[in-house]
Amino acid sequence: MSQVMLKDIGLKEYTLDNLDILRELRDVHFKSRSEICVERAKYVTEYLREKDNPQDAPVIRRAKTVNYFLSNKSAVFPDNNLIAGTTTSKAMGAPLYPEFFALTIWPELETISTRKSNPQLLSKEEADLLNFEIYPFWMERNVLEVTRKRYNNPQCMKLFEQLIFFVASKAGCISHTVPCYSVVLDKGLNYIIQEAADKESEISKNTPLSDEDQEKLNFYKAVQTVLKGIIDYANNLSRAAIELSKTVSDPVRKKSLEKMAEVCGRVPANPASTFHEAVNSLWISHISIHAENINMAMSPGRLDQILYKYYRKDMDEGRLTIKEAMELVGCLWLKLADNVNMVPETAEELFGGAGTAPAVTLGGVDANGEDAVNDLTYIMLRVTELLKTRDPSMNARYNYEKNSKEYRDRVCEVIANTKAVPAFHNDITDIKTLENQGTLTEHARDYAIIGCVELASSGRSYDASSSVMLNLVAPLELTLYNGKRPATGDEQIGPNTGDPSRFKSFEEFWEAFKGQLKWLIGEAVQLNEYFGKIHQEVVPTPLLSAYFEGPMEKGKDLIFGGALYNSSGATHIGFADTVDSLNAIEKAVFIDKKCTFTELLAALKANFQGYESLHQYLVNKAPKYGTEDPVAIKNSQNLICFLYELYQSRVNYRGGKYRPAYWSMTNHSGQGGLANALPNGRKAGEPFASGITPVSGAAKELTACLKTIGGLDSLCIPGGEALNLKFTTVENESDIEKFGQIIESYFRLGGMQVQFNIMSYETLIDAKNHPEKYPGLMVRVSGYSAYFKDLNDKMKDELIKRTEYNLRTGAAVPFPGFK
Amino acid sequence: MLNEILNIILFRKFRTNSAKNNFMKCLQSELAEDFLDVLLKLMSLIFCVDKHFRRNIENFNARYLFMNKDGSITVAAVFNNGKLKVSEQKIDNTDVTVIFKDERALMNFILSPKPDILHAMLNQEVTFEGNLNYLSKFAFMATHLQLMVTKQ
Repeated sequence: MSQVMLKDIGLKEYTLDNLDILRELRDVHFKSRSEICVERAKYVTEYLREKDNPQDAPVIRRAKTVNYFLSNKSAVFPDNNLIAGTTTSKAMGAPLYPEFFALTIWPELETISTRKSNPQLLSKEEADLLNFEIYPFWMERNVLEVTRKRYNNPQCMKLFEQLIFFVASKAGCISHTVPCYSVVLDKGLNYIIQEAADKESEISKNTPLSDEDQEKLNFYKAVQTVLKGIIDYANNLSRAAIELSKTVSDPVRKKSLEKMAEVCGRVPANPASTFHEAVNSLWISHISIHAENINMAMSPGRLDQILYKYYRKDMDEGRLTIKEAMELVGCLWLKLADNVNMVPETAEELFGGAGTAPAVTLGGVDANGEDAVNDLTYIMLRVTELLKTRDPSMNARYNYEKNSKEYRDRVCEVIANTKAVPAFHNDITDIKTLENQGTLTEHARDYAIIGCVELASSGRSYDASSSVMLNLVAPLELTLYNGKRPATGDEQIGPNTGDPSRFKSFEEFWEAFKGQLKWLIGEAVQLNEYFGKIHQEVVPTPLLSAYFEGPMEKGKDLIFGGALYNSSGATHIGFADTVDSLNAIEKAVFIDKKCTFTELLAALKANFQGYESLHQYLVNKAPKYGTEDPVAIKNSQNLICFLYELYQSRVNYRGGKYRPAYWSMTNHSGQGGLANALPNGRKAGEPFASGITPVSGAAKELTACLKTIGGLDSLCIPGGEALNLKFTTVENESDIEKFGQIIESYFRLGGMQVQFNIMSYETLIDAKNHPEKYPGLMVRVSGYSAYFKDLNDKMKDELIKRTEYNLRTGAAVPFPGFK
Repeated sequence: MLNEILNIILFRKFRTNSAKNNFMKCLQSELAEDFLDVLLKLMSLIFCVDKHFRRNIENFNARYLFMNKDGSITVAAVFNNGKLKVSEQKIDNTDVTVIFKDERALMNFILSPKPDILHAMLNQEVTFEGNLNYLSKFAFMATHLQLMVTKQ
């Protein structure tokens, strides 16, 4: 039965003109400058230096450390937001995690505030604190160095540090997951603390205590300790709100502060009894996760489902209006956007402009497989449409068998109006894909998006979905040069798989490529396993564990495999360029015999200079992924299947399988900038295509493009995929309907996900040349949203050059020429 | 007090000015010849005359080795109990070893802000082995000197 009671699902009567608080907060948000916040690093270091008991079990040390930070964390109210709590002590803060990568900005402490690319403010006093007090303590203690020492600087780590083979994000975080806050909202933290205390007491009765019992005892103690830290923080917020209310004269603000004081005095310690309390309880829970773990793609999940019963009850009982609900949702959206990542200058090349990607998921079906779209879904869509902020990363599930056409078209309308969000996800394939991974149907139906596009059963599955980011062009080049890469000179990096000029068939090349790929994946997985083991020793995660199904039942931390489901994600950079290069080799060298392998390699080394005819052939005649050419279809499907089988045969340190995925953040631009010319005609330094998207200009017809990508077996893509499409314009109802039909057709063909930029080549070129005219222009990159102005030039160029389709005809729009 | 007296006797402030000039010239030069030598000489002197900068190496013990690819340049920098000793010989048990193609590449690698750090690493112009945090700390100190010289 439909839960939609709104008369106008578009909520058009609500605008920023009559939602004063959201208009004001949005203005403040866009004016805020990113600042480094040292508070967390300070308290974590202070605890470990002065108060730590090394005899404590790792999980207890971690809990006490996080408790110490939370208990001392500043209770600040930087603006007039209706919800209490901030991720950092700054209005727009980048928290520091010295356990992981915070030391990478050490060289920049005196320049980070003024650097050209995305500066992050840091005062002299704070820089001194980091330089003299905090960073020296961590020189031998962060996860990267502990791992290096423990495993004697293994080859896999050296490959990682060269950056052009794979990135192992586990060196930098426990992240990329979807906790479930329902238990906190419904029962309160005191309930979980009591549950942990009861379980501790029960196990203590065992005599003698086994090692396993002792580990469980430690875990339950740790949960109690760390959750008490959250309650301390909420109480501090409550007290600070009261104090602040005494100093303000504006009666509206005074009342708001008094309300926050009351709310934080109750939640998250106790069950939420109103929509306002539920929203604030959820927000404080989300903050607490970042007290323990890095602010990267920790995704709050299906908020239209989690918060709906509080909304409905307040609405039914007359305590809440739609306007008030929109204000609270808008305040939550802006809170989710109150933090950024600390990004060293070098990493700007690879990740520049990224938000923290806390993904919110809307719509889809419920545990019984019925339409889950409700009034709150539409309120959240409207707020998204009005605020147009980079974070939260918005995602709409669409089940073409259960969700209404009105919902589908409303999501399309929001995309058209924001130009970029939400992303669309196919409920039917996503659920089947998760079921195929062993997820129970009712749990699969309750999936939410992690960060960019990855799938997780909310609060049940710890997927660490960004564990490996593998550059597929690396094994391709290793195959072309028999284990070497042009970028790394004469060093033998991969195995000898043979001189390709002696290969007699494409199949020989394919086998050699698979050999390099298998070797490189082996190295990437090995390093992830090393980091996982070190995480278990150094940074267990009792706080995050409390927000999952499994750890509390098993008495086992998430990082030890406590969650109900476990996996590690491995995403791939350069998929389309790799497939097209395979196509080009098969066609040019072995089918058409247009050139020999020796000639092809010479052309690549010369960056096609002097080989213009061959270059034209490779660009225009070789089969392209995204078309219905049988060679291209075969190679894309073979690669997807091979990677799936390879990863699924690997079991991680938590007992879960590796899941391949195809999303690339901005890595396709950064990695492309560092790779030589490729057989598909791509010249040295040009960006790769993003995610699972065809190479720009390669797929001239939208229908064929969607058919071939939809034809990829989604069961082989359990980590998720990002398909980026660009439409010139969506102007009227007829366009919206056409837009919706395209998405539905793609989903019926089997496509998993699609995201859009609704903007022309010309608009983006103008935005690059005149950034001042487009301060808030939001774009979808490859999985997440960014402000166009924050991206580096290479990434901007990649977005500009992405194939633009005419929505009405489905034909690619000719590129106007770009300098 | 003793340090102040030594600064006077050993003309350290005068030598510091000279070393700053040399460092500035090196920063502006195309090839950055003798970058490492000039940098470490300036660093040693600033540790003596600048109390705030000296704080960087209080209780800091570390062994760095810098080598170019053909072995014609080998410089060891050993920090021990608030002192820096530089020698032109290979040392063992380093915390970090940096191997560079030429001194321009090394300079670009160490000093921020420089847009081509990634390329220096990826083109194998600079490689390192060991604890990255030690390199980060060294780069911070070098950048501080760069700012000191260029802001004069």
